[in-house]
Amino acid sequence: MANLLIQVKQLKKSYRLGKVIVEALRGVSFEINQGDFVSIMGPSGSGKSTLMHILGCLDYPTEGKYFLSSQEVTQLNDSQLALFRNQKIGFVFQQFNLLPRLTILRNVELPLTYNKVSPPNKRELAIQALEQVGLGDRLQHKPNEISGGERQRVAIARALINHPSLILADEPTGNLDSKTGQDIMQMIDKLHKEGNAIVLVTHEVEIARYAKRVIHLKDGLIERDEVIA
Amino acid sequence: MILQSLQIALESLWANKVRSFLSMLGIIIGVGAVIAIVSVGSGSSQQVTSSITNLGSNMITIYPRVARGQGGRIVGENPQEKFSIELAAYMEKFCPSVTQVIPVKQVSGRLIAGDINVNATVVGTEPEYTAVNNYEVEKGSFISNNDNQERNQVIVLGSQLAEDLFEGENPLGKRIKLSYGGQSYLFEVKGVMKEKGGSLSGNLDNQAYLPLAVSLDILTNSDYVSSYIAQAASSEKAATAVSELNNFMAKVLDDENQEQFQLMSQDEILDTVSSVTATMSIMLGGIAAISLLVGGIGIMNIMLVSVTERTREIGVRKALGARNTHILFQFLMESLSLSSIGGILGIIFGWITAYFISQVGNWPLVVAPLSVGLAFGFALCIGIFFGLYPAMKAAKMNPVDALRYE
Ligand SMILES: Nc1ncnc2c1ncn2[C@@H]1O[C@H](COP(=O)(O)OP(=O)(O)OP(=O)(O)O)[C@@H](O)[C@H]1O
Ligand SMILES: [Mg+2]
Repeated sequence: MANLLIQVKQLKKSYRLGKVIVEALRGVSFEINQGDFVSIMGPSGSGKSTLMHILGCLDYPTEGKYFLSSQEVTQLNDSQLALFRNQKIGFVFQQFNLLPRLTILRNVELPLTYNKVSPPNKRELAIQALEQVGLGDRLQHKPNEISGGERQRVAIARALINHPSLILADEPTGNLDSKTGQDIMQMIDKLHKEGNAIVLVTHEVEIARYAKRVIHLKDGLIERDEVIA
Repeated sequence: MILQSLQIALESLWANKVRSFLSMLGIIIGVGAVIAIVSVGSGSSQQVTSSITNLGSNMITIYPRVARGQGGRIVGENPQEKFSIELAAYMEKFCPSVTQVIPVKQVSGRLIAGDINVNATVVGTEPEYTAVNNYEVEKGSFISNNDNQERNQVIVLGSQLAEDLFEGENPLGKRIKLSYGGQSYLFEVKGVMKEKGGSLSGNLDNQAYLPLAVSLDILTNSDYVSSYIAQAASSEKAATAVSELNNFMAKVLDDENQEQFQLMSQDEILDTVSSVTATMSIMLGGIAAISLLVGGIGIMNIMLVSVTERTREIGVRKALGARNTHILFQFLMESLSLSSIGGILGIIFGWITAYFISQVGNWPLVVAPLSVGLAFGFALCIGIFFGLYPAMKAAKMNPVDALRYE
């Protein structure tokens, strides 16, 4: 198991809302190898986003263990988590989550500015990343001046810039029409082919089919772990 | 990291220009007020102090009090009628802290040179008058002891008076007429004084000076002077001199309650002035400090709004790897920029205000570097203090909650 990337063991996450305790994850275990492309499906409220947040080192599980690149994430403190997010993880969100006041170039540069040592050639690296997603000519535009599909491509460029070990995409096509969604998926598929590990949350079967493996969640538990030929 | 936070901070302030400016306003007004108030305070007190010092060195003036009357008649003795020339010599003798005492007899008369005539205060006095008043001769010479003994009808003119009467001509040796009490007297101009400017006892430049004896014996035919000018040995001894003179006069006039005479000393005036200006400065400084504080609360308010508004931005930045300290610095820099830009604008505003007030009040523009530094430093501290809470609130935000925020 030399190329094991992710290992989660009996992950549980519960939220307390007043007296009620909501169990979003109730014991989830799986492994993902480097370079894998995994989709996570499940009905609304089944805990997909909660799982993604834990995988993305944005949140701690209530119980269970999470290893990323054989580091036990559950034992890291806040700033070590931040460094992990910066170095090992690239996020693509449903709502794009670009900063509206910054140009798309500055948006893509953002992760580099939070590196331990931020590289002097931030700008060139960001331009390269934007060229990679076909937006090399829109550098100085603001997010509200480009289309939804283009915004998501900016987000992908931003996710790629630090060469993360893992790209997490939570319904990346959820806010896009199906044609644009397909374009984005093709781009993600290309990243997979280039060797990036990808975990994708989606509602749509056609989108999930880009992956080699689909984990079905239901009520905070894995219902089915299906490998697609 | 600091430089980078500064850039982010300035960008976000620039994005909300009007709001940023409004939230700076408290600091601008506070800093400006501190600088203007301190400057006006020191400028005006410098002016007052210099004009008091201008009066003379360690001068103490002794006046008779105005006699109380009833139905047109003076009740009891007229205190004026105890102010004799001889008393001056006794004062010198019995008050060791007093170096000299000069009797003065002044009247208001009309001076006439050719077809120009001017109303002026005419001061009968002795040669030492110039030394006590820090007063210098420009041309000719001042009244001499000989003039007093001989009752020479000579006159020395203040600079403005000379200009008014002779309009640039050399007045030395010219004859002028003094009209006083329905009579005319002829005088020869013996000297012209240097310009001195205003003082508490009026403008010396508009006065004329004669031998005391002439004023007493020829003009007024009186045995009594209008006041004495005493000089203390040094400014340290001024207070002692005042009490010695007080005691002396009280004894001589048999006037324990000091109802018949009055002392006025330069140091006393200076003390009063400086204590008044000090109280004013403290009071106004307090008001300015409160307005700075209010400015700080304004900044905190805006920063809290800004943090809430940008919750999602905070979530995104954290997701991309920003540590808590990055976020803390970003918002701290923002409030610090607000307060320091506000501080700089306040300095400019205060300076301009102080300049205009000094122009109106006609005193020197004094902007103490200390007050500028203090006000600016205080503004920065307020920026940090009131920025800290919002910045910490931002830094501590849970990234998942922040990302979910609508
Ligand atoms: N911060 C929170 N506080 C309380 N409950 C929460 C919180 N976050 C998630 N939950 C609950 O946890 C459960 C799982 O939520 P999660 O967002 O993971 O669902 P999801 O599978 O992503 O759904 P969707 O497909 O609608 O995005 C839900 O019941 C949700 O109400
Ligand atoms: Mg979700």
